Amino acid sequence: MDFSSNIASQLNAGTILPEGIVIITLMVVLIGDLIGGRNARTWLPYGAIAGLLASIAALYTAWDSPSTIAFLGAFNGDNLSIVFRGIIALSTVVTILMSIRYVEQTGTSLAEFIAIMLTATLGGMFLSGANELVMIFVSLEMLSISSYLMTGYMKRDPRSNEAALKYLLIGASSSAIFLYGSSLLYGLSGGETTLDTISTKILASDSSSSLGLAIALVFVIAGIAFKISAVPFHQWTPDVYEGSPTPVVAFLSVGSKAAGFALAIRLLVTAFSSIIDEWHLIFTALAILSMVLGNVVALAQTSMKRMLAYSSIGQAGFVMIGLTAGTDAGYSSMVFYLLVYLFMNLGAFSGVILFSLRTGTDQISEYAGLYQKDPLLTLGLSLCLLSLGGIPPLAGFFGKIYLFWAGWQAGLYGLVLLALVASVVSIYYYIRVVKMMVVKEPHEMSDSVKNYPEIRWNLQGMRPLQVGLVLTVIATSLAGILSNPLFSLANDSVTSTPILQSTIVNTRISQGETSSSNINP
Amino acid sequence: MLSFLLWFPILGSIIIGLFPGKLESSRLRQITTILAFIIFGATVWLLTQFDLSDPGWQFSEYLPWSDFIGLSYSLGVDGLSLPLIALNSLLTIIAIYSIGENVERPRLYYALTLLINAGITGALASQNLLLFVIFYELELIPFYLMIAIWGGEKRGYASTKFLLYTAVSGLLVLAAFLGIGFLNGASSFDYDVITTEGLALNTKLILLTVLLIGFGIKIPLVPLHTWLPDAYTEASSAVTILLGGILAKLGTYGLIRFGLQLFPDAWSIIAPGLAIIGTVSVLYGALSAIAQKDIKRMVAYSSIGHMGYILVAAAAGTQLSTLGAVAQMISHGLILALLFHLVGIVERKVGTRDLDVLNGLMNPIRGLPLTSALLITAGMASAGIPGLVGFAAEFIVFQGSFATFPIPTLLCIVASGLTAVYFVILLNRTCFGKLDNEKAYYAPVLPTETIPALVLTLIILVLGVQPNWLLKWIEPTTDLFVLKVHPIEQVAKLQ
Repeated sequence: MDFSSNIASQLNAGTILPEGIVIITLMVVLIGDLIGGRNARTWLPYGAIAGLLASIAALYTAWDSPSTIAFLGAFNGDNLSIVFRGIIALSTVVTILMSIRYVEQTGTSLAEFIAIMLTATLGGMFLSGANELVMIFVSLEMLSISSYLMTGYMKRDPRSNEAALKYLLIGASSSAIFLYGSSLLYGLSGGETTLDTISTKILASDSSSSLGLAIALVFVIAGIAFKISAVPFHQWTPDVYEGSPTPVVAFLSVGSKAAGFALAIRLLVTAFSSIIDEWHLIFTALAILSMVLGNVVALAQTSMKRMLAYSSIGQAGFVMIGLTAGTDAGYSSMVFYLLVYLFMNLGAFSGVILFSLRTGTDQISEYAGLYQKDPLLTLGLSLCLLSLGGIPPLAGFFGKIYLFWAGWQAGLYGLVLLALVASVVSIYYYIRVVKMMVVKEPHEMSDSVKNYPEIRWNLQGMRPLQVGLVLTVIATSLAGILSNPLFSLANDSVTSTPILQSTIVNTRISQGETSSSNINP
Repeated sequence: MLSFLLWFPILGSIIIGLFPGKLESSRLRQITTILAFIIFGATVWLLTQFDLSDPGWQFSEYLPWSDFIGLSYSLGVDGLSLPLIALNSLLTIIAIYSIGENVERPRLYYALTLLINAGITGALASQNLLLFVIFYELELIPFYLMIAIWGGEKRGYASTKFLLYTAVSGLLVLAAFLGIGFLNGASSFDYDVITTEGLALNTKLILLTVLLIGFGIKIPLVPLHTWLPDAYTEASSAVTILLGGILAKLGTYGLIRFGLQLFPDAWSIIAPGLAIIGTVSVLYGALSAIAQKDIKRMVAYSSIGHMGYILVAAAAGTQLSTLGAVAQMISHGLILALLFHLVGIVERKVGTRDLDVLNGLMNPIRGLPLTSALLITAGMASAGIPGLVGFAAEFIVFQGSFATFPIPTLLCIVASGLTAVYFVILLNRTCFGKLDNEKAYYAPVLPTETIPALVLTLIILVLGVQPNWLLKWIEPTTDLFVLKVHPIEQVAKLQ
């Protein structure tokens, strides 16, 4: 009896209640589709959204729970993982809102799409809390394989097929590289798979800064950087973003990216705590390259989705400043930026979807003169793009200022100055779209805007898209001004996470810093 | 009270912009005018309540906002910011009247005008450095749209240029502020908390230079000015009134408030350099203006020159010159607004701004006699003719800075003479001469167009005859500012 209760407490299965709810929703969606056929599509998406919201509520109740380690150390449900799981679940909610009409219009099955989407969500959520090499790899693959499927979901469209193939080939190779790095870690630590034990074992052994560990680090980063599309590993992003169905792009740019950052924090901070300077250096390089290339190449794009692809590369560069800073403020500025990035990017993609549903194109030049025909779309898309560019008083400005603040505080002057310059460049290409929509005269209207269909929100699946757009735009406009709750959330998630705190203390001691603490939430 | 001044226009702008249903252009204009008059009334009330003997912050408001990054909602005005806030609300009314009755897309226009008003008030009243940056950058998009939508032929180029320059300016200011905050280890960016005292002199010099470039773009100082002629010329006159009348003042305001005040010792080291840059700006502005064929471009270059005086005066840092700098900001705002308003009328009625085509507008019957008369007054005010506010301000500037920088001041006086040269050219080509009989059938100038100009002329005259009515608000504050700078400057001189 004693043994079984001990096992129960070791398993601590309540920690993954949010994921459990998502699994049940996934099952309900699949079976509901089988039983109800095409009729089920009227309620299935809403059922999925309800399930995800229930999962977010379950995450909320798990906040600050005393025992976070579950499944014999394979999963860690600490506050940091809760924040990232919340971001991923929320991004799926909005993605489903915008995909109802989109998938419907292409004549493919909505339920299958949502089922794959939920699987990807599940993978991302498990990845955020995964604390063990096998678990990390399994959830990473769960996320990746569902992403390949979603990318190629429009199987009649050659571009979608090409994108899926490209994503699959690059993704599978990067997973293989990641796996090789993981297996090196397993070997270096004398057969440990749990991250904290790996760290202690490596620190205890003489290999704490060996060549083997460095190789493992580089291989692991190759896998992580692929997910967050940091520059030398970014080549899939523009092609996949352009070819995939737009709601999938929205999910990949927020959900999948957040999962990548969650993995980066957890894996690098624990397993590689002994060579922290090395991976800080690598990420500094990745951040510089991403900010420069992402923002400069975005200038020359003509397709909206491609522009947002490069913009998401650039934005990842900004987020990496927080990771390189490696302080409390650094990590929490990352979390905060990813939170507001969710609102901005999903709002922007909702606008892009809405426009392409009505006109069937997503060329930037076709947006000319839109303000006359569709003021709501113009306002929403403009606010989201300006927020991505970091214009006050929108959410993106506060996100950036917090990142720069944290970077500056950690002494990364060059990186912050580069980011400032990069954000001026980014303002230029974001405002180009706003200019198309708002500034153009009626006689400069593009053909698609001239033939703009009458706005009808009562079509099947349009109402959720409208709700998603309005909610994200409101959040984008107000999340900056009313940012205190989000700031506290981000800070608490970092300060109450033991793994981060121990490393931050370690770094301080190792660098001999005497500076007093920086922020007091 | 300051919160009202800040939020009332924002709310008004949101209501005008998003109010459902169709509104007619004239109705929108009425509503906006009423709102603008309420804002102006509130600033006048603020002026009457202002305690002239207190040089510090008044009407302060404080609310914690984001402690994590040291941002707080703290407002306050002193003798430096209050007159500029009053100028801002006055010019907002003028800008509404200056655009003409039938503006295209009126809803967006009036909403943006109010938003700009709120942003400038916010920047002037901010007592927190990050809050200042927020409002400073808040101006970016409304002005970009104002230029890009209601501008002239090359508005796309001009507006993008403006946008990029101003964005760089904002980021430099932000970088300098972050630097000040962190190198000191301060946890708050409140103006009263933040100091630069603990910093090494070299660090201070670097930060001050960054700040100088940031604000120098907005002012603009000579090597950084190239956005200005394009933006001023391509924007409609109403937008230029806001742009030159008040937005440019944010640059000099920021330089005095954050440069002079936060870095008193570094300031006295770079002061000679500043005086030279200021003098170059003054001479360059005047000489370039002489060469122009377009009235707006001429006035735009004159604006570069007049902003240069402010820099020379601020660099001198004496009691009198600092007072003169602030007075020159107000006087230049008023005169520039009057000039551009009149140029706007001429352009609308005659249909050209070309000095080679304009002629004989003084003609009492078929010309634009009242407009021309006011244009002559405005030109004289700008050139520094006694009896008008421009003379009073410039005289204080010269008087104050002569002792410290005699040669730059003398050069400024020379340039002041050149100002008279190009204004005489302008007036001679537009107002005098004969009308072209084939083309001279101009629409009559409406009272709603003349009244704003008359009001501005009246203010310029009254303040020129009785400058004390302007100076009494400014003087206590600038005296306090100089106390900080002066002792150190003396020390620097002795060394």
